[in-house]
Amino acid sequence: MVEKKEYKEWPPYAPGTHVRESDIREKKITYSWWEPEVQYSWSVGHAMSKFLQGLKDGKLYGIHCKTCKRVIVPPRMFCEYCFGPTEEWVELKDTGEIETFSISYLDADARRIEEPILVGVVSIDGAYPKPMGFMHYFGEMTKDEIKIGMKVKAVWKPENEREGSITDIKYFKPLKGGSE
Amino acid sequence: MGFLEKQTDPTSPMHWRGDMQADYFYPSGIAGDKFFKHLMEKDTFLATKCKPCNKILFPPRLYCEDCFEEITEDDWMEVPASGKVKLFTKATINAHGVKMEEPKVIALIDIDNTDGAMLGIIKTNELDKDFSGVKVKAVLRPKGNREGTLKDILYWQVI
Repeated sequence: MVEKKEYKEWPPYAPGTHVRESDIREKKITYSWWEPEVQYSWSVGHAMSKFLQGLKDGKLYGIHCKTCKRVIVPPRMFCEYCFGPTEEWVELKDTGEIETFSISYLDADARRIEEPILVGVVSIDGAYPKPMGFMHYFGEMTKDEIKIGMKVKAVWKPENEREGSITDIKYFKPLKGGSE
Repeated sequence: MGFLEKQTDPTSPMHWRGDMQADYFYPSGIAGDKFFKHLMEKDTFLATKCKPCNKILFPPRLYCEDCFEEITEDDWMEVPASGKVKLFTKATINAHGVKMEEPKVIALIDIDNTDGAMLGIIKTNELDKDFSGVKVKAVLRPKGNREGTLKDILYWQVI
């Protein structure tokens, strides 16, 4: 018969310590490391295909729902208000208005950074009702200059570097002198 | 293309391709770390003894799984890197389900002087042999090349 040990503290004494980055780097501990191959291919659908293809050509496309009188961007094949089909493609300007913004001291990998990045939602000119647009970076402005309602314009990558991705627009810069 | 237009080019919809980064990091733990660091230097294994159960635990543990008795520093012991085949199977396909050119014999090996066992690959030419109860010993990587993982055991050899 095994005699049970009496522990005064709860949870019972448990040896162990956190693994530090230096323990791995300096090979103080043994470990297994495995990088699984997890590839995916996501079909973006008809409407987003046209939108992303448009970005490659330096154009922004929205789509019109005549029933609800909306110009939807990013475009959808159906209007989420009336569930009716969207009908007509509309080419939009690459200008807009800052709807919301955030000053982030963390980068995309959650590392702390000295110079904050500015991100937020842009309402694209020609799309309605407001707010209607998408999220993006803001550039050529400081964290003190950025404000809601500021007019902005897209800064595109050079044509040969575009690949049909939302990052074909590098960021939105302030549009000096109001609307174009 | 609007909803009411016809789609005539099936290749036109775009696919967004990506790689999901899901690195897997598994530290050996306190007992495992001791085991692998020992294996990097020596050609033997480490095991732990549970005194109340009178069992020799392999792979080594920090506590006994049966009675939860704590393993202390004195309960650690060296055991030979050899054993007896308890179970075995012949694998003809690899982890991706692809047929291998040379089948492999995978065995559960009862480690000598312990009550524990571990999985290993037996290197042999006689693939259809009955390996039950056959004595085997571990063939390790040359010292200096060992990295402190199970891969340091290259394969098991019939004695």
